[in-house]
Amino acid sequence: MTRTLGALLLAMLLAGCSGARPKPLTDLNGLLRRSASNRRDPSLAQRWLVSLGQRDGRERVELLDLQQRRPVPLPGLNRADALPISVSISADGERIAVVRQRADRTELVLYRRNASALQRIPLDPPGVPRSVSLDGRGRQLAVQVSRNGRWDLDLIRLP
Amino acid sequence: MLAAAISLALVGCSGRVREAPGGLVQRSQLSPAISGDGRLLAVITEQRGRQTIQLRSLVDGSIRPLPQLSRHQPHSSPSLSWNGRYLALITQRGPRRLAVVTDRLNGRVHQLPLPGGRDPIRLSLAPDARRLALQVTDRGLWRVELLDLSDLLEPDRSAGQAISTPPMEPVR
Repeated sequence: MTRTLGALLLAMLLAGCSGARPKPLTDLNGLLRRSASNRRDPSLAQRWLVSLGQRDGRERVELLDLQQRRPVPLPGLNRADALPISVSISADGERIAVVRQRADRTELVLYRRNASALQRIPLDPPGVPRSVSLDGRGRQLAVQVSRNGRWDLDLIRLP
Repeated sequence: MLAAAISLALVGCSGRVREAPGGLVQRSQLSPAISGDGRLLAVITEQRGRQTIQLRSLVDGSIRPLPQLSRHQPHSSPSLSWNGRYLALITQRGPRRLAVVTDRLNGRVHQLPLPGGRDPIRLSLAPDARRLALQVTDRGLWRVELLDLSDLLEPDRSAGQAISTPPMEPVR
């Protein structure tokens, strides 16, 4: 009896484990697929997804409100003469860090949605940024930077 | 201790930090990812010729062990949850790339194979670890797909409240 009960419990446990699988978010994935011909470099917050989407041959930073299931405008962030390379968003979706190529230089910028303000973040010593990560509060940046033929890592505190 | 001292010295008064190198030998550091609370940093470094994940405390400079991730290199695209309980990254399993999420609390590694045999390129874990965004290649195009992990993982702490900061000058 005890052995039978034990086997039953084990079977239930295994069934429980095998049932816990990641589930595709079909609706949102369809929206993402329809809204851009190419999409890359996702950065996920609680309610927000920022990524680099390509439409009409042009790549831009795009923000999706996962709760409302709609794209959110980012006035002043995307420019015709700038090509975004890497993007990261704070947990509340208010701050977006972007590495972008503009003219002949690569720059790191911080975008604040509540003010639609864009601030260039200088690198000291100078270098070429490549990949950026913003912490949840939007107060700290980690940036992969090319200097003297090597990849450095800069940590930058933000006001 | 030495790392902590170097970190503190580098903070200075400017509010900017130049990260101390990871270890005695200066190595390239790729794909940084900060935890939501800003206390942990995951980077890809080269160890014995293989791109390997490294997890560091930004509080005291210590390196946090990840024995469950000592194999299946090259590693790429790390992403941390709010407290750093969960670390998601892409690993190599034979000829295929495989996204995994490791739970640092119990050492368990959750494998996330993609339907259709597609390979992940990049990923991002939500701060509470309830969702994962994956960049994949689909018929020659890059796609981003979202996965719900809420049946798989306990949530990490919530992200907290919004912050406000002084206005900044616009880019000229």
